[in-house]
Amino acid sequence: MMFKDLDPLLHSQLRLAVMSLLLSLEKADFTFIKEKTQSTAGNLSIQLDKLSEAGYITIEKTFKGKKPLTTCRITKKGIKAFEEYVNNLKQYIQR
Amino acid sequence: MEKQETMTIEQSLDVITRMINEAKGKVQRNAFYFLLWGWVVVIANVGVYILSENGYQHPEMIWAITIPAWMVSLWRMYSKRSSPEASTHLGRLSGWIWLGYGISLAVLIAFGSRINYQLNPVVLLMTAIPTFATGAILRFRPLVAGAMTFWVLGIVCFIVSKEMQPLINAGAFVGGYLLPGYLLKNKKDE
Repeated sequence: MMFKDLDPLLHSQLRLAVMSLLLSLEKADFTFIKEKTQSTAGNLSIQLDKLSEAGYITIEKTFKGKKPLTTCRITKKGIKAFEEYVNNLKQYIQR
Repeated sequence: MEKQETMTIEQSLDVITRMINEAKGKVQRNAFYFLLWGWVVVIANVGVYILSENGYQHPEMIWAITIPAWMVSLWRMYSKRSSPEASTHLGRLSGWIWLGYGISLAVLIAFGSRINYQLNPVVLLMTAIPTFATGAILRFRPLVAGAMTFWVLGIVCFIVSKEMQPLINAGAFVGGYLLPGYLLKNKKDE
């Protein structure tokens, strides 16, 4: 079964995984997300930027000692988009 | 992991369920503070009892051992402040509840003279609240049972003589902090 009218930004395995993970957390750092989603750093970085550009997540870049620390949080817009996505999924199931 | 256009309903739901499960159980289960403060408070209370039984003038001086315990706690909080790789809403809530408890406790100690230093039962009843909340958040029953120990022995503390109160207090912290603390420490993460 294929979908056309689901939010294309969320209908991607890695981006959906990131959003599902962040939905349940207050915040999570890049390494944690990478480990849990079993993605590569390069791909994850690109997908996080896409989610951030859409305003679905915020990315905060700081330093922990000398190491860069990238922390991600889901935004209200992101939560709303995720809920809509799940509601649309439900409609497909009910068909 | 980029399979944008070929994801099915089942795959979508699978991704969502899997990730939510990964995030579950990320509430930090940290027994350190329960063990540190459990031991400090038990030693102080037993010390107060022994010293006063032996006619020592100022048995309450033994409470000075809480000063290094505060220093250790603050240092640990500071050094671990940015270390969690992910934090949950519930974990954060738990932290705020303990902070609120700390503020109330500090006020109580500062104005202890106003209530003739009858602090023991009040401290036990107050300590039950964050212990109960943390037990509920971690879904860890020994902590909930620990909170109940605080409530029950808080009532007992109102009834017994002032001389006996430190022993009841010590018992409450053994049951409320130390036992659940060790069980928490030994419990493997799910």
